[in-house]
Parts: sequence; structure tokens; C-alpha cells
Amino acid sequence: MRSVKYFCWLFAAALCVAICAGSPAWSQSEVTLTDIAGRKVTVKLPVRHVVLGEGRQLTALALLHPDPVSLVAGWLGDLKRLDSKTYELFRSKNPAIDKIPLIGITNESTFSVERTLSIRPDVAIFSGGHGPSARSAEAVRQLEAAGIPVVFIDFHDKPLENSVASIAILGKLLGQEEKASAYIKFYQDRLDLIAKRIAEAKLKRPTVFMHMHARLWECCPSPGKGNLGEYIVFAGGSNIAADILPGATGQVNLEYVIQRNPDIYIATGGAHAINRGLAIGTYVTEDDARKALQTIAEEKGINTLSAVANGRVYGLWHHFYNSPLNIIAIEAFAKWFHPELFADVDPRKTLAEINARFLAVPFDGVYFVSLKPEKR
Amino acid sequence: MLLCLLAAAVAAVFCADLLTGPSALTFSQALKGLAAPSTLSRTEYVILWEVRLPAACMAVAVGVALSLAGAEMQTILDNPLASPFTLGISHAAAFGAGMGIVLGYSLPGIPANWLISGNAFVFAFASTVLLQFMAQRFGASAQTLVLFGIAMFFAFEALVKLLQFIASEQTLQQLVFWTMGNLARADWTKIAYLSAAIALVAPFSMAASWKMTALRMGDERARSFGVRVERLRLFSLFRIAVLTSFAVAFVGTIGFIGLVGPHIARMLVGEDHRLLLPGSALCGALLMSAASIASKTILPGVIIPIGIVTALIGVPFFLWLVMQRRYRA
Repeated sequence: MRSVKYFCWLFAAALCVAICAGSPAWSQSEVTLTDIAGRKVTVKLPVRHVVLGEGRQLTALALLHPDPVSLVAGWLGDLKRLDSKTYELFRSKNPAIDKIPLIGITNESTFSVERTLSIRPDVAIFSGGHGPSARSAEAVRQLEAAGIPVVFIDFHDKPLENSVASIAILGKLLGQEEKASAYIKFYQDRLDLIAKRIAEAKLKRPTVFMHMHARLWECCPSPGKGNLGEYIVFAGGSNIAADILPGATGQVNLEYVIQRNPDIYIATGGAHAINRGLAIGTYVTEDDARKALQTIAEEKGINTLSAVANGRVYGLWHHFYNSPLNIIAIEAFAKWFHPELFADVDPRKTLAEINARFLAVPFDGVYFVSLKPEKR
Repeated sequence: MLLCLLAAAVAAVFCADLLTGPSALTFSQALKGLAAPSTLSRTEYVILWEVRLPAACMAVAVGVALSLAGAEMQTILDNPLASPFTLGISHAAAFGAGMGIVLGYSLPGIPANWLISGNAFVFAFASTVLLQFMAQRFGASAQTLVLFGIAMFFAFEALVKLLQFIASEQTLQQLVFWTMGNLARADWTKIAYLSAAIALVAPFSMAASWKMTALRMGDERARSFGVRVERLRLFSLFRIAVLTSFAVAFVGTIGFIGLVGPHIARMLVGEDHRLLLPGSALCGALLMSAASIASKTILPGVIIPIGIVTALIGVPFFLWLVMQRRYRA
């Protein structure tokens, strides 16, 4: 008799556990991770609604989730403002993108904590470029006080160091660790290959001048030791602006550029430069990008560079400076700087593979271009 | 005599401006290249004729325009602190430029490559016309002008800040850069426009110079000489509008020159506007050319926006002049 009663209790307890485990309210688990800013953050899973401190990180979500737009409960307006064509690309897959509430425009000072609180996201993902950053200590404190965990990722400040870790963090948050590891392997293999070959070959580094927002600003904004300048050095080039600029970016004298006469000239552009500067990026055709690049190469001063005479003139989508797809830019640089050493590397194929294997919304357009059509 | 010396100094500094730069183009090469461009290699030719020369010419033209405008402004407002900035013209220009940079807004009929300069010019000019209209409506006394001008100054300043607030980091940087002034924006078309504006306006300034001298003694005295003071103010304001709008639209806001150029000229040649106006123009050109040299040489290879340099280099020089005068007096 007693053992029957004992058995009944046991059965009831087991039933309870089973019911609880099966019901959504009790299935929540937690993940504790260390973000890019070095903070330990605990986030309840699953994460279904995020706010993006920088709209362009939608690309990072698209690497891991089949419908990235559906994840975003609020964001800053930088994607639409700075890269309207890529915004259109995402809209073509999910028109609900137009309904995502804005929590700020395109910079940190317009970010509204109250608006974010009213959205009650599962997590706020900040990345520092155009949105709230590690400097926004008060906003972070307020969000956390309201129970909204804040996670920092980064493809902007130290892209070579932080891109992999950022993808891993997003993988954990979204419960897509396998997909994240697959992308990380894909990314790291390519990065390692370039680093290894450059270290072994002991090549002469060609001098490179990168002209940011070419023709949009007066000549010549250029990256120094940071920003896209890091890619140049990593890919085996020598950035002539890094020798003189005190900051991460700055204004270089055209005369200096002419005098240094770099081996390679790279202009950057994007949707913001269509009609005036280098049209390149989403929905831009190769012909249009090359035509725009040709016009830039004919600008006064630029047209005297031996890079132009030798046809070593290239164009790059500016947003690679803040994107998990930056491996494409790095591969393109490596190939441009050392065509023989990297004859087997093909950034086109890399993009095609990222499109096929990872991106929920495949990128469609030309993101890097050379003045001389490449043999394919 | 002093004017001739000043002109010679301008010519000398202009040449020095042409001969400085981060490249290895030597002094003699550059001199030879100026006389006979064919002696230069293609690279040297471009450096001298397409990089240095436009910037150097622009420096002189902008200096002349801003300083001449400043001299007239100080006289018609009877205020030593007046400059083309006082009445908000520069902020209006910055707002126009900002509309182009931040919002991509272009006034109808302005081609894309003139977007920023065009907007800046239209807003600067329109703000002065508005100022003139209001002044005319409510009596063109110096005080009315200053008060309306101050209202304009703060209104446009707030509007520029609003643009900065909503700008993306990238456009914000571009707008901030624009407001610092930069001679790298120079090209021959812009120089031609600005020179034409100066050539058009300066004779009228000179023609009005004795009336301006009379105005320095006060509205009443000037009236007693038969000067129609309100009319003089309004025409002068129109000249200031043309000079400042062109200069600011092409190179961005450059402070200090319009304020200090006339003061230096006044110390040198006195109050007679027949000398003061050309003297101011020359002093402005001299200061701008000197600043242009400094903006290139402080960090070789890097361009420091000239608006920063004019203030940082110009202020100590100005203070030194003021103190010299005090001691002599």
C-alpha cells in the first residue's frame, strides 16, 4: 500500500516535470556570453526580437537566420540612409522591413532609450559604428536596469580581430551555433590562407592609396592606420596615407599622392555615391561601376598616377569597412596586390559561396571592380 | 606707398605658397615651370598647375573677398567686431551646404557637381537679401541691421546644428569638414566666378569710399555731408553679400580673415577708405596665402583645413600687432 502511494507521488512528480519541460513558459534557458566589449552578459533564450544599434548589422543576422528582417524589432536608420540599395534588397525578400520602428536615425546621439524600452526586445545588439557604442554607458545601464541585456559586437573598430568573435556571439544568441561555426570556419580558412602566404612569400609590398568617397568630397579622404587601412596591410600592401595621417582617417594632400605615386589606387563608393562618385554595391552592374571608376581615374591629379597608367585602379564597396563580409574585400585586395601569389583566390567565388551557403538574402550586385576587365 | 609694399608682400607670399608642398618639386624647378611649363614632367606639371596654383589663387581671391567685405561691414555697422560672419551669412551658407551634404537636397536647376557650392551660395545670398529687406522695412540703421543679423546668425546656427544632429557619422564628418574651410575645393571655374565677383563689386566699393570715410564719423556727420546713409548701407550690404557668398560657397567657412584683415589695414593705412579698402583686400590676401602655406606644411602630406589655421596662426599674429600699436601709442 505504502509503495503504491510512493509510486503515485513519483508518477505525479514525473508528470509535472514532463509538462513543465514541454510548456513554452518553462522551456526558457539562458546563455551567458562574453561580448566584444569584454562584458559578461546573460540572455534568456530563445531570442526572437532584437534591436540593432546599427541597421547594417542586418547582414550579420542574414548569415545565420532564414528571415533576418523578422528578428528585428527596432533599429537605427543607417541601412536605409547609407546603403539604400541593400535596404531595397532586404525589402524584396520581406516588405515588413518598412514597418520596423526606428530607435534613432544614424548616430549615437539620436538613439532613444525610451523607444527601445517600449519595444521590449529580448536583447539589444550594439556595434559602435554609427549607433550606440561602449561610450554610451548611461544608455546601456538604463537598458540593463530595465532587464534588457545589451550585447556588443564589432565589425568596424577591429574587424580582423573581432569579426569571428562577433559571429560566434550572434550564433549563440540566435541558437544558430552550427551555422555560425560553419561561417567562422569558412571565414577563418580564407583569412589564414592569405596571412600565411604573405608571411612566407616575403614579397615586396606594393604602395597603395585608398581614396574614400572618391569625387564626393574634396580630395582626398583616406584611411590611415585604422579602418580599411587595416585590410590593406593585412593583404600585403603598404598604405601610403598611414605614413602621414595621425588618426584612423584624414585628409591627404593630393600633391602627396602624386609625389608618392602609388602602385595601386583604390576608390570607395556605394549607394551614397551613385550619380556623383563611385557607383558600386547592391544592384549596380559591373559596367556602371567601371564607368564610374573610369571617370574617377580621369580626375585631375589622379590621372597622372602610374597606377592609372598600369591599369591598377580598383573600386570597392565602402560598407565593407563595417561588415562580416569583409573577407571578400580582403581577398580582393590580396589578389590586386599580389595577382600571382593569389591566382587561385577568387573573391567572386567567395561571394557566390556566401550567397549559396549562408546569406538568407543573397547579395546581388558588384562589390569590387577593376578598371581593366579581369580575365575570368 | 604702403599699398605698393603690401602688394609686393602679397606677391611674395603667393609665390612662396606656390613653391611649398609635400613633393620634391624644387624651388628652381617650380620657378622655371611657371615661366615655361614644358620644362616640367607631366607629374610636376600637374602638381604645379593643377594642385598648387588653383589653391594659391583661390587663397588670394578668398582673402581679398572676405577682407574687403569685412572692411565694409565694420564701417556700415560701426562695429570693430563685425565681419562677414556677424550677420549669419556664413552660417546660412553652411546650412545650404549641409542641406546638400546631409539631406542630399538640391535646389532645382543646380547640377549635381555644384550641389554643395550652389546650395551654399543660394542660402548665403538669400539670407542677406532677407536681411536687407527687413532692414529696409524697419529703417536701415546700424543697430537694426545688427539685431536682425544676430537673429539670423542664431537661427541658421541652430539649423546647422539640427542638420548635424540628424546626420549620419559620415555626412556629419563631411559637414564639419566643410565648415572648416578647405582650399582643395578650388578649381579654375570657381576661381573665375569669384574673381569676376570681385572685379564687379570692387569698383563700386571704391566709388563709395569717400562716403564710407564720412560714415566713420557717425551717421549725423555723414548726413551733413549729403550722404544718404541708409542707401549707402543697403548697397554696401549687397556688395558684402556678393563677395561673402561666393567666397564661402566655394571654400567653406573661413573665419578671422574678414575680421582681422581690415584691422591690420587700418593700423597700416588709417581710416581713409580710398586706402583702407584696397589695403584690407591686400591684407586679407596676405593672411590667406600665409595660412595656405601653413595648412600644407604643419603636417607634411596632410591638409589641415585652412579655417583652423587662419584662427590658430592668425590670432597670435593679430595680438602681437595690437600690442605693438599699444606700445607705440
